[in-house]
Amino acid sequence: MQGILLALVSITPIVVGATIGALSMRRISVTALEGITRQPEVAGQLFTAMLIGMALVEALVIYCLVVALMLAGSVKI
Amino acid sequence: MEEHATSAIETYMPYIVVFNFALVGVVLVVLGKLAVRGGLSEEPGPRQNLLEFLLDFFVGKAEEIRGCDCVKTVVPLLATLFAMIFISNLLGVIPIPVINQPPTAYYSGPLALALCAIFGTLYVSGVFNGVFGALKHLFWPNPLQLITEVSDVMSLSLRLYGNIAGEHMVALLIMGVAPIGIPLVIHFLGLIPAFVQPLVFVLLTTSFIAGAIKHEEHKEEREVVAEAQEERTKVDVEAQTA
Repeated sequence: MQGILLALVSITPIVVGATIGALSMRRISVTALEGITRQPEVAGQLFTAMLIGMALVEALVIYCLVVALMLAGSVKI
Repeated sequence: MEEHATSAIETYMPYIVVFNFALVGVVLVVLGKLAVRGGLSEEPGPRQNLLEFLLDFFVGKAEEIRGCDCVKTVVPLLATLFAMIFISNLLGVIPIPVINQPPTAYYSGPLALALCAIFGTLYVSGVFNGVFGALKHLFWPNPLQLITEVSDVMSLSLRLYGNIAGEHMVALLIMGVAPIGIPLVIHFLGLIPAFVQPLVFVLLTTSFIAGAIKHEEHKEEREVVAEAQEERTKVDVEAQTA
């Protein structure tokens, strides 16, 4: 029972992190796409900025993944 | 038997990472030698055209760093990082037992690459701001800049590691459930981060370099803008008096 509880706790960070990260990435990509449709001539610059923004969001999700992996590694069922 | 094999691979993992990195380096050197074999010409053939197209991307990125003539210093760093990470990621899809462990999927590999990128940034900053300027950038306007460098290393390396290792873990998990057919799709999807991650790595390195260099330039830009405004007001005043 305790092991299952610990396993649930260890997957919590990545669940929360991935959910919020996905929502914010949706926002980033939608805004970038709107910008690109409005001004196709700056598509390249917008795409670069979008990738950097997504990478910054993704970094936090990856931190969650690493924390989840560390927690999962310490759980013994 | 199978368990024994995986444990052997895990035991020798550090050596495998080093070996695969060296392999990637050798492949890149050989490819580079082959690519420029026979010399470069004024009227490029298809091979030289392709290479110039690839190099042009990094030159464009380096030219986006305004206020310095640093293309020749920055482009080799960016292009090497990109090629190294990209080929390392692609090792994962080669179906040969030892070679198919991408060195970027073990934390020591990305950490080494991120350290290279940050020390390269410091080097470029030292070349263009002087050694004193580069050291001053670490402590001025606030000493927390030093922590920024450390967290840059962490974010660069963890991002690369998490993406590549995560993709591998997912492939492994799915392999346990559906061993035929589906892993191919997962591997194909894995090609997307394999290309996007080096791109992001290079873009972030570029922005770090731009942040390290720009400093002094901002002041000059502001002065130039202020001078232009003064001239404009002068012209306006003259026009009004006339």
